[in-house]
Amino acid sequence: MSMLKVERLSKTFGAIRAVDAVSFEVRPGEIYGLLGPNGAGKTTTISMISGLLKPDAGEVSVAGAAFSSDPQKAKRIMGVVPQELAIYEELSGRENLEFWGRMAGLSSRDAKARAVELLAALTLTDRAQDPVKKYSGGMKRRINLGCALLHRPQLLLLDEPTVGIDPQARLNILEFIRNLRASGTAILYTTHYLEEAENLCQRIGIIDHGRLLAEGTLGELQERLGGDRLFALEADFKNTSPDAWDGFHQRFRVIQKSEKQLVVAAIGARDPAECLKELLSLPVRVENVTLKRPSLNDVFLQLTGRDLRE
Amino acid sequence: MLRVLLAKDLRRAWRNPLPWVINLIVPLAMTALLGMVFGGHSENDALGHIRFAVVDEDHSLLGRVLRGAANQEQVTEHLEPVFMDREPAMKLVNAGKISAVLILQTNFLRNYLTARQPVCLELIKNPAESIRPAVIEELLGATVAALNVVSRNFNSDFPEWQKAITNREDYHQVLSLIEREGDKIKAARHFLNPPLVSYQKEEPAGTNSATSQGGKLQTSPAEPGNGIFGYLLLGMSAMFLLFLGQNGMTDLHRELQKRTFERYRTMHQQVWPFLLGKLVFVVVMLIICSAILIGGGGLVFRIHWQHSLALVALGAGYSCFVAAFFAVLVALVPDERRAGVLNNLAGMVLGLAGGCAFPPQQLPTLLREHITTRLPSYWFANAARNLQSGGDVLWGIVLLKLLLCAVVLIAVAGWLFQRRFKSGLRA
Repeated sequence: MSMLKVERLSKTFGAIRAVDAVSFEVRPGEIYGLLGPNGAGKTTTISMISGLLKPDAGEVSVAGAAFSSDPQKAKRIMGVVPQELAIYEELSGRENLEFWGRMAGLSSRDAKARAVELLAALTLTDRAQDPVKKYSGGMKRRINLGCALLHRPQLLLLDEPTVGIDPQARLNILEFIRNLRASGTAILYTTHYLEEAENLCQRIGIIDHGRLLAEGTLGELQERLGGDRLFALEADFKNTSPDAWDGFHQRFRVIQKSEKQLVVAAIGARDPAECLKELLSLPVRVENVTLKRPSLNDVFLQLTGRDLRE
Repeated sequence: MLRVLLAKDLRRAWRNPLPWVINLIVPLAMTALLGMVFGGHSENDALGHIRFAVVDEDHSLLGRVLRGAANQEQVTEHLEPVFMDREPAMKLVNAGKISAVLILQTNFLRNYLTARQPVCLELIKNPAESIRPAVIEELLGATVAALNVVSRNFNSDFPEWQKAITNREDYHQVLSLIEREGDKIKAARHFLNPPLVSYQKEEPAGTNSATSQGGKLQTSPAEPGNGIFGYLLLGMSAMFLLFLGQNGMTDLHRELQKRTFERYRTMHQQVWPFLLGKLVFVVVMLIICSAILIGGGGLVFRIHWQHSLALVALGAGYSCFVAAFFAVLVALVPDERRAGVLNNLAGMVLGLAGGCAFPPQQLPTLLREHITTRLPSYWFANAARNLQSGGDVLWGIVLLKLLLCAVVLIAVAGWLFQRRFKSGLRA
């Protein structure tokens, strides 16, 4: 049984279709990455799943039950970490955790005990009494994350939890999330960082302009490009086009083309040396050819025609 | 949950008290400043002693009589005349040490007794004060009216009076004249009680007036002169409780902006507990602030509050109204930057139009008759002032009206928030 199931979720703001028939599911003990650029519809999707926004169409099921049938029950199962630091700067880290624990329905004693536990897990025990406003960006992010974990949610929704922090703090948070997954928590993780999605998530959904363009494991997504390798040709492609080359499209799929570079994937399981030979015999003066493993960015490039980092 | 929400907000306010402290200091400072300007310091509800200089340039018997009368108990109860020359008197008035200078000009008595000129007394008022010089002016007006009455009724005897006074002050002659005038008054006693002549300053209809009858100063209850600090402090408190309420409810803007309200909504379906928590917090803070303003201000300015319990109840009711009022404004304009202007304006209008900053009687007629009396800020300030001055006021009804307003406004705020959240509010 999936912990979270989203079916044909849609939301429109005026003339803008923010989310368009998005469907996916997250299983227990799985991190599902929703990868897309800013404005792709990731936060809107999370807002609808967590009940902050009412979907125009579609259905959200949490632990097998429709969200709309008992929203309060669904909210007790899930923990939400917003992209913004939704914490009180005047309060200490411990006070923030205790407060949100009480809001999540814990008794005062349980909230206190759980706060101590989380402070240790987040390596913030020595700064527990300090006001949050004196914390570094990474520490604030950790407290922001901890505030959603007081009631031990079975489903965790993380909306870009590592935005704006240094690499070391990011690694700490990612490690913490991996541990959560190991304890069986189902995690929906939105990000626009390719590396995070590649390294952290078991399955990835690529979203752009409100539409889920593709989903699967990293391997499955790479497979869409034609196996595990890509050929990058450097040449002057200003006055020539692959369309003019006889039989090219039967043998190769164009991933990206610019005036100086052409990235292609071989169609079918073929010998790389054979492919290389064919590419070098093209009617264009090739200056350099590189063989590389396809990245998520290449997948995104192939799906949208633009770079995720743009 | 309300207790947890309240504890959280109180803790946050305790850690960042500056905005609250500023809004507490300003009304106390303004009360002190305005009190000094309009009436000088006062140790009790009364106006206190009015110190003024008397310059006798006439050097006649009248001056000496006045000097003797100045030591009478009835006079010293309210007035403190100081006899001196013009120059030092002017120095004192310029230094703000006396409220006015009364000058008996040369030949005043001779002119009066010969009825050559109308009675003329010169009064120089201290421009830095308002109420006290006005009281002296009123008293002087009454004195002049009385002297004119005497002149009209006894002018046939004046030549003899003048002769007696100028003729080396023949006290035997003066005594026989007093006896004669006494007989005249005795014969006319049935016409004198009630007095045929009284003095009353002309006032616009519908306003309270200070009257002087038979030399005794009476001040009507709602007049600022009666406990100027009490009057000002209650108005300032009503005004600044609005600003304090605005400051408190601004926290709801921040909860929206910082997404803490949103985080709460990811945990709970109903927004009411969170809203009520914020309202309770603001009401508690306003009650604490009103206690500091009215209670602390009372101690600072030595004001004895006449009906403390009723005042506390009214303050609590007004606090509920203020919190609910600004909750509606937050719901209407959730963006803090845009709401700042609206909130300030609303607070100012409610305070000024409600007659909090100055007597409502001085407001333009249209405002006073059609708007002011409908404003909760006026209900509170007016009821509190009337309570303090001993006037009749059904404070229970006023309290009920304030609470009713608060309930209606809370319902409106809740409904507006629900509607906004449904349409996807993100401040």
